[in-house]
Amino acid sequence: MNAKILQNDFKRNRASNVALLLFMTLAAALVVVAAIVVTQLITSMMGMYSAAKPPHFLQMHKGEIKPGLIDAFNASYEGVTAWQIVPMIDIYGDDLKVYGEEVFSLSDCRLDIGLVKQNKEYDLLLDGDRKAINVNKGEIGIPVILRDSYDINLGDTVQLTSNGVTKAFKVTTFVHDAQMNSTLCSSTRLLISDEDFEELFGNVGENEYLIETYFIDSSQASDFQSAYEKAGLPQDGQAVTYTIIFLLSALGDIVMAMVLMLVSMLLVMVSLMCIKYTVMAALEEEMHEIGTMKAIGMSYKDIRNLYLEKYKMMVAVGIVIGYVLALILSNVFTRHINSTFGKQPISMLTIGLPFAACALVYFITNHYCKKILKRIKKVTVVELLVTEKGFSKKEHAKDGLYKSKTMPVNLLISVRDTFHHFSGFIIVFVVMFIISGIMIVPMNLLNTMNSKEFISYMGSSMDDLLIEIDSGQNLDSKYQVVQKLLEEDADIEDYKAFRRVRIQAINSAEEWINLHIDCGQYAGKALKYLVGTAPTMENEIALSKLNAEAMGKNVGDTILLKVNDMLKKCIVSGIYQDVTSGGYTAKALYSFEGVDTEKYQFTINLMNGINVEEKASQWRDKIGVGYDIEPMEEFISQTLGGVSRQVEVIATAVILIGILLAAWIVVLFMKLRLAKDAPQIAAMKAIGFTNSDVRKQYLYKILMVSMTGMFAGTLISNILGARIVSMAFSIMGLGISRITFIINPWAAFAIVPLLLLAVAAGMTWMSAGQIQEYHIISLINE
Amino acid sequence: MKAILRAKGLWKEFNGAKILKGIDVTINAGEFVAIMGQSGSGKSTLLYNISGMDRATKGKISFDGEDITNLDDEKMSNIRLKKMGFIFQQSHLLKTLSIRDNIVLPGFKAKQDSRKNVNVYAEKLMKRTGIDPIADHDIKKVSGGQLQRAAICRALINHPDIIFGDELTGALNLAATKEIMDIMNEVNGEGTTVMLVTHDAKVAARAERVIFLADGNITDEIVLGKYEEKSFSEREQKMSKWLGKQGF
Repeated sequence: MNAKILQNDFKRNRASNVALLLFMTLAAALVVVAAIVVTQLITSMMGMYSAAKPPHFLQMHKGEIKPGLIDAFNASYEGVTAWQIVPMIDIYGDDLKVYGEEVFSLSDCRLDIGLVKQNKEYDLLLDGDRKAINVNKGEIGIPVILRDSYDINLGDTVQLTSNGVTKAFKVTTFVHDAQMNSTLCSSTRLLISDEDFEELFGNVGENEYLIETYFIDSSQASDFQSAYEKAGLPQDGQAVTYTIIFLLSALGDIVMAMVLMLVSMLLVMVSLMCIKYTVMAALEEEMHEIGTMKAIGMSYKDIRNLYLEKYKMMVAVGIVIGYVLALILSNVFTRHINSTFGKQPISMLTIGLPFAACALVYFITNHYCKKILKRIKKVTVVELLVTEKGFSKKEHAKDGLYKSKTMPVNLLISVRDTFHHFSGFIIVFVVMFIISGIMIVPMNLLNTMNSKEFISYMGSSMDDLLIEIDSGQNLDSKYQVVQKLLEEDADIEDYKAFRRVRIQAINSAEEWINLHIDCGQYAGKALKYLVGTAPTMENEIALSKLNAEAMGKNVGDTILLKVNDMLKKCIVSGIYQDVTSGGYTAKALYSFEGVDTEKYQFTINLMNGINVEEKASQWRDKIGVGYDIEPMEEFISQTLGGVSRQVEVIATAVILIGILLAAWIVVLFMKLRLAKDAPQIAAMKAIGFTNSDVRKQYLYKILMVSMTGMFAGTLISNILGARIVSMAFSIMGLGISRITFIINPWAAFAIVPLLLLAVAAGMTWMSAGQIQEYHIISLINE
Repeated sequence: MKAILRAKGLWKEFNGAKILKGIDVTINAGEFVAIMGQSGSGKSTLLYNISGMDRATKGKISFDGEDITNLDDEKMSNIRLKKMGFIFQQSHLLKTLSIRDNIVLPGFKAKQDSRKNVNVYAEKLMKRTGIDPIADHDIKKVSGGQLQRAAICRALINHPDIIFGDELTGALNLAATKEIMDIMNEVNGEGTTVMLVTHDAKVAARAERVIFLADGNITDEIVLGKYEEKSFSEREQKMSKWLGKQGF
């Protein structure tokens, strides 16, 4: 009996039932895709990390080391389970030439390139199947992040030329490197055979060591770092903990998973609204039948179940189709995860979580349907059959159309219908509100990250060019070369020089820690400070946010520095944001004479009209290798490289998904709305309104609601967007806690809203075309 | 007399069934014509096709001398708006508008007069049909008879040449039916042509001419002459006799 009723209902209300089914399918598909991406990300990372075993604490060091001291320290430190010292050969990008379909060098690669051999047990470099790779003599494994940035293919030849040595390697594999698989890391590792490594070590490039330590509990890394630094062990290079390695590896995919979850939650919400809309329309339409059923003594539960079963079935069918669709689509979203973290075998979690997500959607919709259908219980037979008051809180007609003096009739009807009966359009409003909101945030973030001003979050001032000298010996002579170059160049308006030193300081726990201080006359100037100001006196110091937090210092506090075995007191003048060097930097005017230089940095402003890229290229040719000379925007782009690229992918994907979603929802909404409004449309046509008039009315209504939603979405995203992103950055511990969006007003306030509006208008006009097929008489006589 | 509406060889097929089978009919300007027939005889179909609300399968229809058989949506809508008025069994007023707004809407749309004058005329129509006290009411809060009066006002707002009614009193009680039909006779008395479909002999007795339809064909007609209230029972008897002859 019920099956027959369902069948008939489906035939009778085909448009609204199909629309509801499609909503459920799409919502379920996206929920499943989000669940698959999340599980794939978690299981892939865990799988890769358990196979590759990246270090819990990594200290890079350039120069020679005494392994005995490290062994002794590690052996005595409680909780250390293993350690190793991995030698690496640092080479310049200019030293590597790729011979494939095209011939090019890696000179423009900002990542420090290191040649390594495979480790025995820990920190393994893996292939796509998560097996430790062993390359033969003459072969080389290229990291996947280089494969993604350059046209390097298997079988290509990579030629190394350094210190008069030339050696060719054949690319035989791509390397999945658990600890250096993001461009946010400063280095990347190329794998060569043990024999080649022994042959080259000490003869080409420079020697660097990765001092890697493992603990019972990886959270011990921070305490270990303090103790390690205090012990004065090798530390001429970056130090990174497991958490940072993990976070940097997955940042882009985490953001993608978050966006997918947000969009799928949005769709579930829209589906719920859609269900309410359809159920209420069905109840109103079948008011007399329900009244009769109640009158002849059918119980509330019997009547409710007639409806509930239909929606349960539709939701279940939608979820099943969505699930299958998601399994087909998920490859697109997990491709990056697979390529970064290697192939992940299917686990219980991969099957279980998407299934659980589907079950959750099913139970939520089921519960929601029951809640709506409770109205059957509350309404009386008299309200259904005699007074015909019905179920919903009736929308009352608003008097006043007759007062209008000039507004065109179609617009007049639309304005009144939209704003007096806004709840009927709430789906479109909410969708446009959320879509415009989520489209603008990544776009603003991308614009901010691509802007030259973003340099202020990277601890530098906003100038045209940046020169860094941070590798190799003879830093001072290289400094002289650059200074001479800049002094002699007439195209320069001004330049600032900074020297980075490593100084020991006492933190709030009375422990000695390393502080990387950029010093110089202009140190800390032109940065954006969270609190306080740049140092203005020699006894002042500005700290990066992460340093201030780690040291437990605020503006006005005093910190003790150990300079040439003497103690120096400094007052914290300000706290700024910095994502470079792991976010741990400081700025001071004091010159720290006698302390070894870690790095020199020059920021340069050119005269007006001078081409920045040409100048950088000209200088590179003039002073040769060993200097990083980059236009500031290029420096930001390369440092943020993968992250801003992924933000770009996300922003593009969100815009595309947003537009498609808007188009899809407008089409489905119109299907539902037209099905509901059919008798009213027929009445309008009967009194002389043309098809085109009715289409115009729907166009005006959707445009007005869309504009209201988009205005609210844009407003909220501009107010809250930067705060949400700042909060996310803050939670991730990247050294930024307060980001101010640099907005491209054309894109944010004109192009994107107009595009969205054009899509809404186009879909409405197209969908409303079906009015032409309406048969006035059959609708009127229904 | 001038013909306002003429159908020639009108056929209508629907899902293979022949509903109208080559009907020829002429309605003169100022006439009041009622169409009667058994259920399924095709009387409503004839009304909808002859009024251009539906498209005939075959045949030719002219309105006021103009061939309207294949007019496009724009032109046909314009005729419906300005020259025709429709009243259905259910009022089919727009739910989101008040009584008054429903009435003035086609007037605003037609732009034949200023909005001020449309409002004045709507007020006059409402007074005449006795619904002025509920002018600004929600349409869900008034009775069926009041809704039908509002539908009549809406149909009249653009001073149409002809009013079509399909079982316009079908859902009303006797008292309301009488009131509505009095209005229809008044409107017709002022020169507006009226063509309505009914199964109620009392309603048909108000007409000047009654056409009987059976199985898609016009089988007979009776001319009762212009309506006068005093002769109503005589007309009713005449109708009864005639309908008996038709097997109704």
